[in-house]
Amino acid sequence: MNLLKKVAILFVSFSLVAVGTVSAKDFKPKKPIELIIMAGQGGGADEIARLVQGIAEKNDFTSKPLIPINKPGGSGGEALTYVKGKSGDQHTIMITLNSFFTTPQNQTELGIDIIEDYTPLARLLTDTFMVWIKKDGAKTSGINTLDEFLARAKQGDLVMGGTGKMSEDELLLGMMRGMFGFDAKYVPYSGGGAVAKGLIGGESDFTLNNPSEQMGFYQSGDSKALVMMTPKRNPAFPEVPSSYELGYPDLEYYMMRAFVAPADIGAEAQKYYTGVLHDVYMNNEFQKFNIDDGKLLSWIEGYGLSDFFAVEYDKHSEIVAAFN
Amino acid sequence: METFLLLMNGIGTALVPLNLGLLIFGCLIGLFVGAMPGLGSVNGVAILIPITFIVPPTAAIIFLAAVYYGAMYGGAISSIMLGIPGASTAVATVFDGRPLAQKGDAITGLTAAAVGSFVGGTVSVILFTLFAPPLAKVALAFNAPETFALMVMAFATFVGLGGDDIPKTCFSILIGLVLSTIGLDLISGQPRLIFFGIPGFLHGVNFLVLAIGIYGIGEMLWTLESTKGAVQISSIKFTFKDIIQGFRNLKDTVMAMTIGSFLGFFVGILPAAGATPAALMSYGITKQLSKNSKDFGTGVPAGVVAPECANNSASTGSMLPMLTLGIPGSPTTAILLGGMILWGLTPGPLLFTQQPEFVWGLIGSLYIANFFTLILNVALIPAFIMVLRIPFAILAPVIFVLCVTGGYAPTQSIHDVWLMLLFGVVGYVLRKLDYPVAPAVLSIVLGPLAEKAMRQSLIISDGSFNIFFDFSIKPIAATIMYIALVFLFLPLISVMKNKLFPKKT
Repeated sequence: MNLLKKVAILFVSFSLVAVGTVSAKDFKPKKPIELIIMAGQGGGADEIARLVQGIAEKNDFTSKPLIPINKPGGSGGEALTYVKGKSGDQHTIMITLNSFFTTPQNQTELGIDIIEDYTPLARLLTDTFMVWIKKDGAKTSGINTLDEFLARAKQGDLVMGGTGKMSEDELLLGMMRGMFGFDAKYVPYSGGGAVAKGLIGGESDFTLNNPSEQMGFYQSGDSKALVMMTPKRNPAFPEVPSSYELGYPDLEYYMMRAFVAPADIGAEAQKYYTGVLHDVYMNNEFQKFNIDDGKLLSWIEGYGLSDFFAVEYDKHSEIVAAFN
Repeated sequence: METFLLLMNGIGTALVPLNLGLLIFGCLIGLFVGAMPGLGSVNGVAILIPITFIVPPTAAIIFLAAVYYGAMYGGAISSIMLGIPGASTAVATVFDGRPLAQKGDAITGLTAAAVGSFVGGTVSVILFTLFAPPLAKVALAFNAPETFALMVMAFATFVGLGGDDIPKTCFSILIGLVLSTIGLDLISGQPRLIFFGIPGFLHGVNFLVLAIGIYGIGEMLWTLESTKGAVQISSIKFTFKDIIQGFRNLKDTVMAMTIGSFLGFFVGILPAAGATPAALMSYGITKQLSKNSKDFGTGVPAGVVAPECANNSASTGSMLPMLTLGIPGSPTTAILLGGMILWGLTPGPLLFTQQPEFVWGLIGSLYIANFFTLILNVALIPAFIMVLRIPFAILAPVIFVLCVTGGYAPTQSIHDVWLMLLFGVVGYVLRKLDYPVAPAVLSIVLGPLAEKAMRQSLIISDGSFNIFFDFSIKPIAATIMYIALVFLFLPLISVMKNKLFPKKT
């Protein structure tokens, strides 16, 4: 009797374990997965979304295809509202950028709570920013260092090209204004590529582009980078000094490339998508592409990501408040 | 000479069996994608990007460029045969292509589209071959004030060519402009005109939603009323002679071809403009300069040739800023650019020297794609004509389904489908009241471009309008601006002259 009992308990516990592993492992998408992009076509988030889609599809990381859909309206407000409304939908994920923190604060009428309304999946990358000038710019010729640039900028007549009102680079300009006491005219363009072209075309005097956006002009020698806003130099731009070595450790800012899903999708689906993203993250092609592009590989997932969101949200509310 | 050798190498690259096979396959897919409302070259290229990972980059870009290219031809087919713009680039083709088909002369319409596309495509690829690097500098010099001046010119041609009824044309332009301001304001970042707080308005009114509504649904209602569901054109004879006749009918379209090819290419190389504005502007300017401008809109071959020529020309042109500056000239090239980055190529000033096989293989393939699509299109005319033999009672539901999918596809939101149906009814009413609707479509495309360029310029100039008119500040912008003003006031002057000095009878 005793033996039978033991066997039965053993059997039951085994089957429980088996069921447990099966259910945790066994979420499989039943239809194509919508990959919402909270920015327009051709921008940085779009580029990463399509890279992830391409690598996932090439290597069969997902059993169903990922369908990228751009919803750039309202600085990403449209995408945030859309995914919030999809609560419980296991076939939608979204790539986010820093407007994930700023848009809910600038458009409080949307009623977005970034911790409650979304399931965190993973952060794959962080992108950084650099100060760019044209090689022989009308007002910036002969400038080779950040300090020379700051001295010139204090005259107050420089034009900066940027990616849009209250976007990362305008916030960053606000930060620099507070730090260095200069001001510049901010002209918004649509997208980082157009910003880069405006600089080379002589319409603006400087930009705060991401590394990849100026890569082509940098390699051809048409543009110069004065500082990289990180503690260390970036291997893709070995001769550009970091803000730390120039003695401005406060000049540090990152753009995140992270993925979230709608709320209440369940632990299995969360685990599944995090796993897919991790497969992509570990892929050689993905790593090489991003290192060459000057991006930083920076994986965090789950609760770590929630904490990161909370910290960044507060940090951005300070920047936004200082800006207004 | 060196260019010639590089080009020959490029054509050689394009004729490698794998590349040629992909090119032909791509053209066929493009034709289909272009002809289906709501698919369009943007979606076609985006869907096909993952496929290109299995072939080398040169083959991949040849394939995708062929899809893009084929779509420029394909868009005309549904515009002419069904009155629904198959793709945004083919909206202007509806203006005269549809009336031609209704007059029973669809063959001329389709031939005009095929030949126009071929001429535009060929001229632009030759310009591309000869002048790519210097033209890249022109594109760089063309900044916000110049863009705004060009937009003013486009509007001016449309005011002028309302011809018969200038107030109604202005009304139509203004409606379009108001619709184009819905959504997020680029400069202040604030939402504007979000009616009833409906979130669907945040992404603005997509121009295809307006065009498909007005032309697809509006046209369907109109045709249902007039034909009562019967076959539209009772007898369509179709012989080889008719195609020859179709070609003959094009002899008066040389001016349209010239304007379409050069203007199209030029607008195409400007970053962020693309083939749709090029086609609309080319239509407007051709109409303005034509001797029989009053007949435009009633079915003249030149009205089909001008936009078709321009959209193909611009699609080639928009590859120039993509390759040399890394800036997409159109939404489709934005996707192509993403593809290039994934294939490990850095677009930019160095691409021509670092990757000559890639660049010249692409250019070579454009020459061949042009020939192939022309032959394919003319050969398929009999198949397209069959559509007109179907009774409208059967055709109407098909058109309706195509319109709904076409309205849904660009933004994937059901909100836009309702909006599209609303525009359909409004378009029908406007037609009944004899308002021209083409200017509204033009202004919803060009409105956002013009607004952005104007406001960027004014920020740079501290609010001074001199930036547009003073030759010493921006000579190119000022020149274009004064030409635009001439276009704007010419018809007014002739109207006043007729009123003040009526012709003696």
